[in-house]
This record gives sequence, structure tokens and C-alpha cells, in this order.
Amino acid sequence: MSFYNGILNLTNWSGNVILPTLAGLFIAIAIIQFSKGKEYVHAMYGGFMCLMASGLLRAFETFASQRAWNDPNLVWAALASLVDWICNVLLPIYAALQVAAGGLQLAGVTNRFQPISWMRHFAAAGLCLLVSGLLRLGEFFVTRGTGGVR
Amino acid sequence: MAVPQLLNDIVNVLLLLAPSAALLCLVLAGISLRREGGGTSFVIGGGFTKWIFWAVVFLTLQPLLSWFSSFGVRVPLAGGGIASSWLSTFQASVGSFVTNFVVGRLATTLAAYFVLRAILDSAAGEYPLPSIFTAMFLLGVQTTDRVLQSYNSGTQYATADVLDSLWTYLAGTIMPVAAGLAIIGAIINVAMRRPALRLAAVALGLLSVTAVWKLVLAMVA
Repeated sequence: MSFYNGILNLTNWSGNVILPTLAGLFIAIAIIQFSKGKEYVHAMYGGFMCLMASGLLRAFETFASQRAWNDPNLVWAALASLVDWICNVLLPIYAALQVAAGGLQLAGVTNRFQPISWMRHFAAAGLCLLVSGLLRLGEFFVTRGTGGVR
Repeated sequence: MAVPQLLNDIVNVLLLLAPSAALLCLVLAGISLRREGGGTSFVIGGGFTKWIFWAVVFLTLQPLLSWFSSFGVRVPLAGGGIASSWLSTFQASVGSFVTNFVVGRLATTLAAYFVLRAILDSAAGEYPLPSIFTAMFLLGVQTTDRVLQSYNSGTQYATADVLDSLWTYLAGTIMPVAAGLAIIGAIINVAMRRPALRLAAVALGLLSVTAVWKLVLAMVA
């Protein structure tokens, strides 16, 4: 018996046995919340994430191994990889979801469930796809600003 | 003038009991872990770290004493074993008591109580994980002791070597696994509408502990 085995097996058990089971519970909670017109997004995403615990850990391990283990820049590289992944992988997918949601709203399919304007969905999709551009625009303004007012 | 045999025997008994004292320290460290740091953390300079430090000191007592040869302390002592049969039996009995009773039985029972405590913690609205960690630490005392002994370089710097190796073991072996737990905690927090970003950052930090250390070193260089 060792502490390492204990914590390793606890992590495996929690991530591969308990979380997938809890995923069903969270999805059920999301459905019940949705039926009552209450906030259900957290339970829904939580349910999906419960099924992706191993994948998320592997993603974090990938972020934290962008440089050699003893490279002082590893912290920065890991953070940069995380930001890159969120902005260039997750947000485009979220943009596609927002376009679909906007389309459904525009067609009048979902406007009985949520009173959000279709325009908000399309604007969110556009912003998701423009993150890098917006950042570069901000950097451009700041760079110009450092030159002083002319 | 030669050192009296009785004095030699007493010193030998104390030195031979050092590994048993280290085991006791590890058990006490486990109990302190739950009491002071909540179980998932520890206070530097608190009870847990102090008991771990003393465990390391007891395990590396003989190499450590070699620093004081100028005071006339010779390690290992002349004669090696214990000449007095009564003292020899006393040392064997105490060693057996610590190994078989305190560590073999009492620590296991304590661990079982901490598992019970974990359930009661949940009932009280607290997290069960700290008590579970403590139970695991207590159940793994003998293995932890063996791990510490394997780090003993036997040199004058043995105490520092063991502490260094222990840090490396924590940073390289335990913390990546703890990162997995942090991710699991973050996921549950998302589902429960609690702040999750902190735990995600903790996971990233736990996966790059050595790099953070190197970063700090680079900053102060």
C-alpha cells in the first residue's frame, strides 16, 4: 500500500467510473431545469465534460509539455497554448453552434423557449471568429498609442 | 579514556531506534495533514512539515551526526551492536511495538476512522477528499518510509538529499496525478455553477511545478 497508488487509483476511479455516471445525472438535471425554464447550461456542459475528463486532462498535459520540463518558459508556453486552444479551436466551434442557434431562432423554432434575439447569436458567432483580429486591432491601437498623439 | 560500555550501548539503542521514531513521525504527520492544512494542502512550518522533517532527520541521523566528528562523536559507534542483552531486548521490543502495533494496526485503524470522517464531512457540507487523503497517507506510511530510506545517500548531506528527492517525487510523481483530480474538481464545479477557472489553473500549475521552480530560479539569478 502506498500513497501514490491510493491517489492514482482515486483519480482513475473518479475520472473513469464516477464522472461518467454523474454525467447522466447532470444531463437529467439539465433537462429538468430546462423544463422549468431555469438555467440549464451549466448542468448540460458539466454533463458533457464529465464524459471528457480524460480528454481534458490529456489536453492540459499537452499544454504543459510544449517545452522541456525544466524550461522556465514552460509556464508561459502552457498558458499560451491554453489561450490558443480556447480562441482558435473552441470558439470557432462555439461560433458554429451560435450560427445554428441563430438560424433556429430566425426560423422561429426556438423563440418560444428563449427570448434571445437571433441577432445576438449571429453577433456572438462573428465575435468568436474575430477574436484574433480584435486582439490584433487592440495591439495596433496600443502600438500606435505608444508613439504619442500626433 | 575509553567511553564506558553502558554509555555506548545507550547511544547505540537510541541510534537503532531512530528508524522507529521516523515511522512514528510519519504517522503523526498524517494526522497533522488533516488537522492543519485541511488535508489537500499543508502549512510550511506547520505540524505536517515538521513531522516529515523529523522523520527525515531520524532516517538520516547517522550520516547527519558525521558533521559533528569534531565534537568527538564517532558514527558508527565503536563496537557496532548493543553489548547489554537487556538493552538489546528493549530496543528490539520498542522497534517491534512501533512496526507491528503502531504502524501495522493502529495507523490502519486511524485510517478507517478518517474514512468514516470523510462521510461525516460530506454530511456536514464539507469536502470528503481531505480525510480520504489522510487515510491514504496513513495506510501508506510503511511505503513512504521505504521511499524515504531509498533516497538516503548516506553522505553528510543525506538529510538535504532526502528532502530534495522528496520534493522531486512530489513534483514529478504525485502532482501530475493531483492535476487529474483538479480537472475532475473543475468539471464538477462547472456542473454545479461554482467557480472552475481556479482549479483549471491549478491543474496547469501542478503539471508544470518544476518549470515554475526553474522560472523562480531564473528570476532570482
